[in-house]
Amino acid sequence: MNPIYLFFHKTGSPPWFYKYSGKLVPFLWAIFLVLAAYGLYLGLVVAPADYQQGESVRIMYLHVPSAWMSMMIYGLMAIMGFIALVWRIRIMEVLVISSAPVGAAFTAIALITGSLWGRPTWGTYWVWDARLTSELVLLFLYFGVILLYNAFDEPRKAARAASLMSIVGAINLPIIYFSVEWWNTLHQGSSMGSDGPGIHPSMLLPLLLMATATKFYYGANLLTRARLTLLKQDHRKRWVQDLLTEESH
Amino acid sequence: MSHTPFIVAAYLIGAVVLFWAAMAPVLSKRSFLRQLKNRQTRMEKSQ
Repeated sequence: MNPIYLFFHKTGSPPWFYKYSGKLVPFLWAIFLVLAAYGLYLGLVVAPADYQQGESVRIMYLHVPSAWMSMMIYGLMAIMGFIALVWRIRIMEVLVISSAPVGAAFTAIALITGSLWGRPTWGTYWVWDARLTSELVLLFLYFGVILLYNAFDEPRKAARAASLMSIVGAINLPIIYFSVEWWNTLHQGSSMGSDGPGIHPSMLLPLLLMATATKFYYGANLLTRARLTLLKQDHRKRWVQDLLTEESH
Repeated sequence: MSHTPFIVAAYLIGAVVLFWAAMAPVLSKRSFLRQLKNRQTRMEKSQ
C-alpha cells in the first residue's frame, strides 16, 4: 500500500487514534501551561503599559490570541469538514464536531475581553461595528454547528451536516479579517500587518507566547473531546468493550 | 478611570471559560464510562 494512504488509514482508525492521542494529551497540556504561565508573567508583569491605552493593553494578551484562535479553529473545521465530506474519513468528522465547542469558547472570550477593553478605551462595551458584529456571527455559527450535530439521532449523518455547515460558514472568515479595511470601523487594524508587527518587542513576545500557548490548548482539548466522541459513537464496538475490560482489570 | 477591574475581570472570565471547556469532556467521559460499566455489571448479573 502507498505509505501516504497507509498513514491515513492507520491514523484514521478509531482504536489507533484513541490509543496514541491519549499519550499525546498530557504533553500538550504541559506545554500549554508552561507557555501560558511565562506569557502571562511577561504580559501582566514585565511588559510596559501602552502610551495611549494605558494598562488596559494587558487585556490584549488574552483577547488577540483568542480572536486568532476563533478564526483559525473555524478555518480548520471547514478544511476538515471538506476532507470528511469528500473522502469520507470518519476521524475528520469527529474532529470537526470536537473543535466546535473549543472554537466557541475562544470566540466568547474574544468578544467578552474585547468588550472589557472597549469600555475604558472607547468609552463603551459594545458597538455594532463590522469587526465586532462579524465576530458575533462567528459565535452563532459555532453554536449552529453544535446544535445541528445534536439535532440528529444518527451520529455520522449529524457529523456530515455539521461539516457542511462548517464549510458554508467559512465565508464569514474573510469578512472578519478584512472588516477593518472594507468598512470604516471603530476597531483598530491588524496588530500583525503585512509589513511586520507594529508593536514593540516587549509586547510582541508575550503576545506570541500566548498565541502559541492557545494552539497547544486547542490541541489538548480537541484530542480529549475527539476521544470522548469516539467512545460514545463506538461504545457497542469490540475495541471499546476490550478497552473497558482492560481498564477494569 | 482605573483599568485594573477590567483587566482582572477579563482574565478571570477567560480562565473560567477555558477551565470549563477543558473540564467538560473529562467529566462527561467519567460519567459515560460509569454508565457503561453499570450497564455491563447489570448484564453480567442478569445472565
